[in-house]
Amino acid sequence: MSNTSADDFKEMHALMSMLQNLDVGLVILDRNYHIQLWNSFMESHSGKYPYEVKGKSIFTEFPEINEEWFRHKAESVFLLNNRAFTTWEQRPYLFKFKNYRPITGKAEFMFQNSTLIPLGSADGNVERIGIIIYDVTDIAVNRVELKSVNDELKRLSRTDKLTQLYNRGYWEECLDKEFKRCKRTGSTSSMLMFDIDHFKKVNDAYGHPTGDEVIKTTANILRETMRETDIAGRYGGEEYVVILINANAEQAFNFAERLRERIAKTVVHHLDFSVNYTVSLGICEISDKIVNHSQWIEMSDQGLYRSKEAGRNTSTIYT
Amino acid sequence: MNQALNVKVTEEQRDCYQEISNVAMGQAADLLARLLHVHVILPIPVVNLLEVNELRMALSGIESSNSVSGVCQGFIGNGISGEALLIFNDASFNDISKLLKYGGELDTSLELELLMDTANILIGACLRGIAEQLDVVFSQGHPIVLGQHVNLNDLVQANNYRWSKTLAIEINYKIEGFDINCDLLLLFAEDSIDSLNEKVNFLLED
Repeated sequence: MSNTSADDFKEMHALMSMLQNLDVGLVILDRNYHIQLWNSFMESHSGKYPYEVKGKSIFTEFPEINEEWFRHKAESVFLLNNRAFTTWEQRPYLFKFKNYRPITGKAEFMFQNSTLIPLGSADGNVERIGIIIYDVTDIAVNRVELKSVNDELKRLSRTDKLTQLYNRGYWEECLDKEFKRCKRTGSTSSMLMFDIDHFKKVNDAYGHPTGDEVIKTTANILRETMRETDIAGRYGGEEYVVILINANAEQAFNFAERLRERIAKTVVHHLDFSVNYTVSLGICEISDKIVNHSQWIEMSDQGLYRSKEAGRNTSTIYT
Repeated sequence: MNQALNVKVTEEQRDCYQEISNVAMGQAADLLARLLHVHVILPIPVVNLLEVNELRMALSGIESSNSVSGVCQGFIGNGISGEALLIFNDASFNDISKLLKYGGELDTSLELELLMDTANILIGACLRGIAEQLDVVFSQGHPIVLGQHVNLNDLVQANNYRWSKTLAIEINYKIEGFDINCDLLLLFAEDSIDSLNEKVNFLLED
């Protein structure tokens, strides 16, 4: 009999030292949020001994804990006898501890996930809760870095390198979205397509580097002329497209004329050359006749074609 | 390629899964109702044995055109393992925010709080309900945010799942008087289905 209880005691002792040495934070709180248990992980990282914190409110000992937020989570554990989990994505940490790797670690502090578990008594009421703190710094740092790399890749995959406008693929996606939005909401938008007149001659006469400069300058003028909400893209070599959100054909025409005049007045200086050039533009307002975004592009292209027919340096509304 | 486990679920077993889910779901709804003082509309859980790449089809409560946010959480115990997936229609957040009494502007981080809070309650309670009935104990992993404001298909993209089949229980929660629509999906791994069936057979014998 006495032997068994001695064995039990040894086992208990072994279990307790396992818990003490577990490299995970363990805290037990009573119903008033006073700290009852504090393992050595918590002691080491916080610099506070168990006897210092025992019986003290977790909120006064650790002012970095947002009391309202934490109570919101913990109350549901007390009330519902149900576990709750919080992740570093919600709040980077519960306890502000230093990074476990102060030298090579990239983050300043320890990112933490935490689990709140109900600790019941015999009558089924939750009198205490246990908090388990996991160090997830490496996961969090990797995730954040991966996201920033992915965002940059996404930006690059959408952008035309020379003009920094959207490239054709992404611009068409935007047009498709806008087309569907207009159909759904009944709002009116227009699209504009334009190209540089006799661009081949520019290239032949001054060379490709100057031709590229003309293309870039045109993109810059477009960016300066359009509203922030408009969506511009480089459709092809010297072809540009713009979605004019919530603009009817007349408003789009005014925009096109403003753009045309600005470009006609511009002289591109590159190497020893001074290049003056013009553009031809086609406009198409969305209508019931248009069944998909490709047709919208086609009709704008038709408008552009008529401007060319009319002698270039002109804007035409496709009707 | 995939291990051909050749799992089956009989009509009788399927009914039993439905019954178990019904009870568990009721318990979860009860918790939700107690916490939020609302009436939760209880649907009939849908139980299906399906190919993992058909996962999208199990989410019948959510329309594919909507932007959604989701969390998943793994669980394991007594030879049974799986994942719980909670998917919200993004349009629901306004009303959930009112229900959970969070002040402040509804932004991505507040939505994440709401998502996690609801996941904690619904997933925890449902799993506990099921575990109690099957007389097993589940350990739960930490929940992972699958994505916020994404297309449903991107959220449940079946890329390289190791199993071909999964036992899926879909529970579509709605709350009376609120525009809240969320789908809780409990997915059991293919190699757990035999153990599950055994447990269920015990219940059926009584």
